[in-house]
Amino acid sequence: MPTVLMLDVSLSMSRPVPTSDTTETHTRFTIATAAINTFLDYLCVHAKLEYVALVTFSSMYEVAVPFTREFDTIRSKLLQLDEGDKTCIDTALLGVNQIVLNEWGCQTPVQIIMITDGSSGVGTIGRNRIVQALPLPPSYPAKIHVLPIVSPHDTSLQHAMPLYQKIVDLANNTTSNSNGNMSRGSIYCPDQLTVPGVITAITRLCEQHYQEFWCALKCGQLETRVQLFPAPQTVSHEGVDATYTLANQLHVIGFIQQQDLGTPMAISKHLVIPQAQPGGNAAARENYDSKTDRPTKEGSSSTDGSTTEEDLSDPSKIPNFCVLLHGALKVEGMAAVVVLGAEWWGTLTAWCEASRSRRSCLLLSVLRPGTAAAPWLGALDQLGPAEEGTTTAESFPVRSWRSYSSGGSACAWARPHALLADVQKVLRHARKLPDKTQHLFKELNRLRRAAISLGFSELLTAIGNALERECTALPPSAPSECALQLAHAANALRDPRTALDIKHTLTPLGPNYNPSMSH
Amino acid sequence: MMFPINHKTIFVLDHTPYFGISSEFPIEFDVPKNRGYLPVPPICKSLWTCSVEAAVEYCRVVWDLFPEGKLVRLIVSDTTAHMLNTWVAAQQNLTHLLNGLCLVGPVRRGAGGDVEGLVAAIEALAEPSPAQVSRPPDRLFQNRGRVICITSARDNDSIKNLKDIAHNTIVQLNKKASLAQPAGTSESTSTTPQTLVIHYCHILIINVTPENAETRVTNQPLTEIAGGQIGVEVIVSRASALANLLARLVLPHYKLATTTVTGIPMKEEQNASSSANYDVEIVHSEDAHTGLRASQTAAEAAESVVLRWWTPRGAEGGASGCCGALWRVTPADVASRPSACLVNFLLNGRSVTLEVPRKGGGRSASHVLAAQGGELWIGALGARTPYDDPPALSEGAGGRVTDYRIKEFGALMQQNRLHPMRGAGANARSRARLQRHTTYWPLTISSTLIFNLGSVLEPLTRLVVQETLTDEEVETCRGVLLALLAMESRHEFPTAQLPSNMRGKSSGRREEQWRQVWGELEALVRAHAAAPQHRALLRVLLDCRAHNNHSSDGESRATVIRATTDSPLSPVGAGNGAAEVWAPRNVLDALLAAPRPPRRPDFAGRMAAGTRVATLYPQLQQDVETSH
Repeated sequence: MPTVLMLDVSLSMSRPVPTSDTTETHTRFTIATAAINTFLDYLCVHAKLEYVALVTFSSMYEVAVPFTREFDTIRSKLLQLDEGDKTCIDTALLGVNQIVLNEWGCQTPVQIIMITDGSSGVGTIGRNRIVQALPLPPSYPAKIHVLPIVSPHDTSLQHAMPLYQKIVDLANNTTSNSNGNMSRGSIYCPDQLTVPGVITAITRLCEQHYQEFWCALKCGQLETRVQLFPAPQTVSHEGVDATYTLANQLHVIGFIQQQDLGTPMAISKHLVIPQAQPGGNAAARENYDSKTDRPTKEGSSSTDGSTTEEDLSDPSKIPNFCVLLHGALKVEGMAAVVVLGAEWWGTLTAWCEASRSRRSCLLLSVLRPGTAAAPWLGALDQLGPAEEGTTTAESFPVRSWRSYSSGGSACAWARPHALLADVQKVLRHARKLPDKTQHLFKELNRLRRAAISLGFSELLTAIGNALERECTALPPSAPSECALQLAHAANALRDPRTALDIKHTLTPLGPNYNPSMSH
Repeated sequence: MMFPINHKTIFVLDHTPYFGISSEFPIEFDVPKNRGYLPVPPICKSLWTCSVEAAVEYCRVVWDLFPEGKLVRLIVSDTTAHMLNTWVAAQQNLTHLLNGLCLVGPVRRGAGGDVEGLVAAIEALAEPSPAQVSRPPDRLFQNRGRVICITSARDNDSIKNLKDIAHNTIVQLNKKASLAQPAGTSESTSTTPQTLVIHYCHILIINVTPENAETRVTNQPLTEIAGGQIGVEVIVSRASALANLLARLVLPHYKLATTTVTGIPMKEEQNASSSANYDVEIVHSEDAHTGLRASQTAAEAAESVVLRWWTPRGAEGGASGCCGALWRVTPADVASRPSACLVNFLLNGRSVTLEVPRKGGGRSASHVLAAQGGELWIGALGARTPYDDPPALSEGAGGRVTDYRIKEFGALMQQNRLHPMRGAGANARSRARLQRHTTYWPLTISSTLIFNLGSVLEPLTRLVVQETLTDEEVETCRGVLLALLAMESRHEFPTAQLPSNMRGKSSGRREEQWRQVWGELEALVRAHAAAPQHRALLRVLLDCRAHNNHSSDGESRATVIRATTDSPLSPVGAGNGAAEVWAPRNVLDALLAAPRPPRRPDFAGRMAAGTRVATLYPQLQQDVETSH
């Protein structure tokens, strides 16, 4: 998740911190700087791919460093920041919303770390006014953490706490978020106003919210350790009261053509980054020779032997299943379906970034929990292998029964033009008798069915009359059958016994028509 | 939070004689381009027709966008309440409703009222939906819903009367439900659908009148009564405007929004050379618009968002470019020709990008429309993704290995393709199969010989991964092994079969190569040695292998060949048990004991003893016994 560091640069941040140590003088600002550096250090080790932006605020806000993975630019920028005037949290959050929406749109979850001086800068009334004015929840999924650089016993903190709590709570309260809910942010108060105290607090934050996510990718007996980035979040869903947390094993259950898979609704997507196998060489081969304790590699050890020494120190030269899988998925144009948990699935695809470096990588799409996450694949729990030797009856896509042509049987006549079109169609057929006799009656029955379900007997009478008039207006040269069929249809439509009976079907007169039978 | 208000909606349609009167809104059939047809005089729908078609259209939008989880029921109210459907999924579709409506027919003379239907609707709300039934009983949830009552009242007092009846019904039902619950929770959970307490009910009364009739009913905004338990809203509408009203109301009820796709080029006739541009309005979740209008007013939110058709060129675009969620789409006016054209275009597998119209040039694609599995979807084209600019695979673990068996893994993927199946356990079967197929699966070309031998070994490597083998298949495998043995005896290199570039990599001595081949084969077959046929194959292999490790003098080979040409499946005197290569041992023993050497048959005493402790020198004991 991209992170916005919101750093308070108001005047009050420059207050010196009283300390017994005379060799070093600290202000709240320098302590905040230390916290940010600690944060960046942690990311360097655990989340190198994270994007971080630095926004400073006082009564104004400024994007000091836009989103970057080059954390050093943030470090050097910290040394050149200008002092501002007064803390003004609502304006700053407004600015952050804009930056995030411009850069990430409204679907990417974002973490915001607000580093401030522990005073809201206003009295109780002003504080309440700020709470009212907070631009929260944002239209993107977000969690906000607050790190007040303040002594825990400071009275101003007691005063500002409700505001912070409100910010943390509101950030999570997204209404229009279809992608499930994220866990909440927190307030990280240092237990003392010193550099180590604040570093402890930010380290706690890092450990709770920036943990890298490791798991095992398993495909039958083949297995490798992978990192997922961004780290998956626990999700909960409307209509599903359980929360879903990714297990630390992803089990491939099979494969599917990319065009059959399409693009199911993913609640999040993650890079799957292969990791060196713990324990080096032995574990790397675990797949195929240490399962059975047979010396199967005795022959190949001689071939490997020549190059083994330097290979062992370089994980990139040890075969990794993840790389193989990526290559094969790409070549075959397929995707792997993985089980993520109970009633929860995901897909693995070889994804090639279109815009930038054109690098290809393995991407895990986490689907919405439940068996219906991709309706065109059918129920996901019923995806299975074809029986050997038999051909399966069903294939993708599994069609839903829905049809968009007004439900198949009904006629959507709420708008007059639809009714008009249907009536004209009947009259068109009526003029082309006897060629269109079958069509005319088929169309009349369709119309009847719709009219009966809507209780629209007026329509049937009107059409009956129209057909009768067509009958009288027939040119003398017309075959006699035309007049007979039209009169027959007109009568049937106006006969109260047959017209409104759904079980009755209008049929054209047979060739050996006998006038006496019609009544 | 589990069940939102729109989980259950109930329409009450007034079917009293009053609804048989005309809406007094004539529909003209006279069109300017009337090519010689006799004009059809205008006709008016009845109030009943207007209310049915409006309600059905509301249902269509809901069910098109939410195939499950959003339930609607229709109740026709005259002398009694006619339930057209229940909460069961099989009855939640238009076909079922329309069939029911056919039987209801037009209004008939006779007394009756809307009250019957309203009471029945509230009782229906107290019935649990299938999703609510399947909830574990210890989990509490809110049972909420909406009743839309289309009626025609004389004045506000009659409306007030309706409200009171609804209120009383809810109070009584809740009293009954809360009394029944404590008694019923412990033992009688299996009783037929218990009634649920209604926690909230939104009652929307739509008062319908013909075009020119006066009405003394006035609009009343949503007001909460009964301590927030009931929300009542009254809307007055002309019958002719009813369909539009419900089409508008469905949006906030289900958090939907509309998009107008503008500038869709369509040909007037099949082979016309020119095309005109049309607009089509579509309905979908309002989430699809998030971010498009970051700062919109309430009035703006109700308007349709206009997005321009971006004529697709070649293979560009498509839903795959969209990295976020997809939402179902349905046309707002399903019967119009432009809607039908757009739907068919998409259902034929093509997708289209939509852009935000900009005055000052510059294009920005914002959404994608596409069909998947016979349904229409809209997806928002996202901005950046947090996983862009990924680290190069070639620099990560395993990235510099160049001889992965990609083609073979591709074949494995094809063999493990998923299909839509019926019945439970499909996932598990598929995993078990993958497990079998990967039991012995070297990742790289240089780490294996047997999989590089191509056609020589192919029948064996293909067959051995099956769950069971037939006798013929075992025979085929044995043929493969014997062919190998023959090759070895001719002092051929196993790699002689390989193309020269691959041969270079495994440039060991001939004997070493053959040892590797047999070693790998054993690992492969042994990994599958679960079924009796597989074990038979393993015995054949071990015989061959045993030979491989001996000095290759002609006589021993002959015996091996003789031994292996006897079918291993032919009953061998004492039976299969004695012919086992290894005595069975349990898992603990297997873990504790030393690994079994591969090339030596097990100690005969242990074979005989089976799982029991083997006795040493049993003859000695016998000798002692006989001597006594």
